[in-house]
Amino acid sequence: MKQKSAPAAPAAQGTGPRRTWDAQSLALVAVFAALIAVSAVIPGVPVGSFGVPITLQTLAIVLTGLVLGAARAAAAMGLYLALAFAGLPIFSGGRAGLQILASGSAGYIIGFLVGAFAIGLLAELVIRRTSPRRRGLWFFLAATAVLVVVIHGLGVVGMVVNLKLAWQAAFLADLAYYPGDLLKNAVAAVAAVAVHRAFPDVLMRRVKAPEAAAA
Amino acid sequence: MRARISPGLLAGYVPGHSWLHRAPLWTKFAGVLAAGAASFMLLDWRASALAVAAVVAAWLSAGLGVRRLVAPWRLIAPLLGVLFAFQWWQQGPAASGRIVLNLLLCFLAAALLTATVPLRELLDAVAGAARPFRRFGADPERFALAIAIMLRSIPVLAGSFAEVGDAARARGLERSVRARTIPVVLSAVAYARRTGDALAARGLGDADD
Repeated sequence: MKQKSAPAAPAAQGTGPRRTWDAQSLALVAVFAALIAVSAVIPGVPVGSFGVPITLQTLAIVLTGLVLGAARAAAAMGLYLALAFAGLPIFSGGRAGLQILASGSAGYIIGFLVGAFAIGLLAELVIRRTSPRRRGLWFFLAATAVLVVVIHGLGVVGMVVNLKLAWQAAFLADLAYYPGDLLKNAVAAVAAVAVHRAFPDVLMRRVKAPEAAAA
Repeated sequence: MRARISPGLLAGYVPGHSWLHRAPLWTKFAGVLAAGAASFMLLDWRASALAVAAVVAAWLSAGLGVRRLVAPWRLIAPLLGVLFAFQWWQQGPAASGRIVLNLLLCFLAAALLTATVPLRELLDAVAGAARPFRRFGADPERFALAIAIMLRSIPVLAGSFAEVGDAARARGLERSVRARTIPVVLSAVAYARRTGDALAARGLGDADD
């Protein structure tokens, strides 16, 4: 069981080059933390002819990375985790508290934090390097790579450590989430493109500004 | 959907004046950490059972009642049952009992913390946890502000999800993840920007220097 006493405290600091965030970034971090919380708690959307409900939490987390970029996405996820650990019932299924770190979900919870940061890092790279027309596809690929390696990887580790499952059993238990997660990544990529088109100053100008200044 | 969130918000805390309620927060937090560590160190199911019994005794001595102790288990019991059966098959009854009891121990210890500390106090403690990081550039006031904005945004976004869901249903798109999320996300970003503008207009949220 991995314990983290104050997960959001380091995440709430400045972003490195920019020492502290402006009011816009603070509001974006807080609102996206709320978006993650709400999407974990509301009932899932029934999908396909069988109507299997899929929860929207991973969608919100992937989206947070794609929209906010690495540092602010990690801060939003850290803020969400800090309040959930403190007892706000905003983990999926209305759960709360440090109990979650003892359960089979612990690996996913930690994976979400690392994953949001990694997706944000890749999203900044995609915005800097690719043409706007291909951006949706690259967003999808970046999110999927992180999802498979980081979130599902740590999720499996969490089940092995906490539930003392064998690796094969944990892997099989994890496999059930893949189809829904791929669908959610596709939606998140489309949504992120829409957000960046509607609000270019949320991330695009931030990422591109240093280059424009250098040119 | 709003109703799903609000009633549970303070459900964890049980008002009281027992020794556990009066114990300082850090001792209880240390207890939760100890329970987490114990789940790796207790290798005999009898030791685990003893530890669980001790936590249950603490729970009852704090006057938190049997009903509150049992109520959350209706959700988790089936899962623990499946795990118990699976591990019995894989590793035998003794190991299976130890694994399930150690999980129980962690759950109970953490539940004890949230049952004896009011949520407001816990949130204050979380905001205060940023204080030691001040020298690295963390700002507890801004952290507290972010917490406040987040708490205020939750009902707004829940309402937005409900509205967009109704709209999608009216168009026959209730099964489309796309139709039910993208408008929410766009309105969330717009809401965040309005909030950011409002903060900036009041001189809040920007760094002091």
